Amino acid sequence: MSTAAVTYSTPTTPATRRVRAYFAPVNRAMGQPTIFDPSASGGFNLESPPSPWIDLGWIADFSRKSNSAIEALNTGSPAAPLVQMRALIGATVSFRFLTWKKISMALSAGSEHMNLLAPATGAAANGSGSKGIAAASLLAGSTASSLNMAAASLAGFHAGQMVVVDADYAGQTGYVGSGVSAAYVRSAASVNNDPDYVRRVSFNVALVAAVAATGLTLAQPLLAGAPAANMKVQAIEGFVDREGGLFFQEWSALFVMPGEQGERILYHYPRLQPTGGAQEELQALAAPLEWVTLQANFRAMPVIDANDGEQALCFRSFLPSPLTLL
Amino acid sequence: MQNAKDTFYVALRNRLATVNPNRTMLLRGAQRPSILVEEAEAVVAMLPADTFVLRWTGLTTDTNLPLTLAKMECEMHYTTGGTAAAFGLDRGRALEEMDAEVIGLLTPRSTPKMDYATNPVTQLTTAVFWTAATFMPAATVRDRLTRYAKVAVFAYQEQGEL
Repeated sequence: MSTAAVTYSTPTTPATRRVRAYFAPVNRAMGQPTIFDPSASGGFNLESPPSPWIDLGWIADFSRKSNSAIEALNTGSPAAPLVQMRALIGATVSFRFLTWKKISMALSAGSEHMNLLAPATGAAANGSGSKGIAAASLLAGSTASSLNMAAASLAGFHAGQMVVVDADYAGQTGYVGSGVSAAYVRSAASVNNDPDYVRRVSFNVALVAAVAATGLTLAQPLLAGAPAANMKVQAIEGFVDREGGLFFQEWSALFVMPGEQGERILYHYPRLQPTGGAQEELQALAAPLEWVTLQANFRAMPVIDANDGEQALCFRSFLPSPLTLL
Repeated sequence: MQNAKDTFYVALRNRLATVNPNRTMLLRGAQRPSILVEEAEAVVAMLPADTFVLRWTGLTTDTNLPLTLAKMECEMHYTTGGTAAAFGLDRGRALEEMDAEVIGLLTPRSTPKMDYATNPVTQLTTAVFWTAATFMPAATVRDRLTRYAKVAVFAYQEQGEL
């Protein structure tokens, strides 16, 4: 049996218009990043990334830099290089998010990122939001996109409202937050033993699409999936970050450059931590209108490549365009 | 982009009814505020006097966003010969009055986007917004003073919009 010879082309210089960013949580308690496997998922539909990757849209001014250092051991007279060694591995990446949302704000700010809980009547004013209206319990059968609640609890909710769904803080220390390690609690006293603290920092947020007689329908699925039995829902007004805080966000990242000939370049950073605080970039739209974009700067942290045990900061993959000579 | 153009026109028309309730015209049998969209009316040889005529010209889009952003250039043309009672000697004042009305019509510089092709009219989820007017030099043609102001109108293309 034989097949017809294919028509092939010689490689061309990749041309791309833009870069798309995807992020996924790192399990901080277990030290487990989300690993992207380009051999299995490299050609994924950009509009529908594989779970648990979260699409953060097209980004601007994507720039990555290797800070790795190679030094030579010189011997003899005159000295000549005998051997080279890698003295340091390091890498940074920076870009601008074009949209403001919970995750892009948190990544840009770098430290704890808080939800502005709908304030309780008479609560004392506070820069990162005051005490919230009491959370409402969920009933059995809730899913990632629908929250079952008692009828009496629905009065405080309406379509178009933002909500956070997470467990009460119960005095634990360490990383907290469902789906994403949102903050690190050093002691119960440091967070005033506040039952709302986890919901204040949680990434498990969504927009309410409709209020039915039996609960809330969400316009987007919760990041942590179906709520656990001990979770509660609380209304939020927006988000806040701050210059300060000791916590470092850490996320797994994937950046994709789609080429004009069908090729694809992928950059996978299993562990990224921020290198700066909250910062915006203003760009002229049509005077005096300006775009306000989120500047994000990261340092890559190492992982061990399971194939050979080597440390790595970033994986760059290239999927050639079809029928191109290698 | 049509929803954005319709929304911009209706917003300005409604505002004109407040800014200057006396600036009205009779068009196709209906008395209404003196503002029209040139491409939606019969072709005429010259601009109607004391009326704002919206002319849509340039269009650019930015597709590097979750929703495509359209930037549409709109020219607001207007011409006046002043009043007959003053034998046209007040045409400068009349033009200045229309200049001031342009500023009033464009303030505030945003409005919720509507779909006027549905019955009843439906409100979409984004807003149409625009720049301040850039006024071009006035021109004299016979007994009339004419000017136009340029405005950049921005609107996001929502899912399902044409």
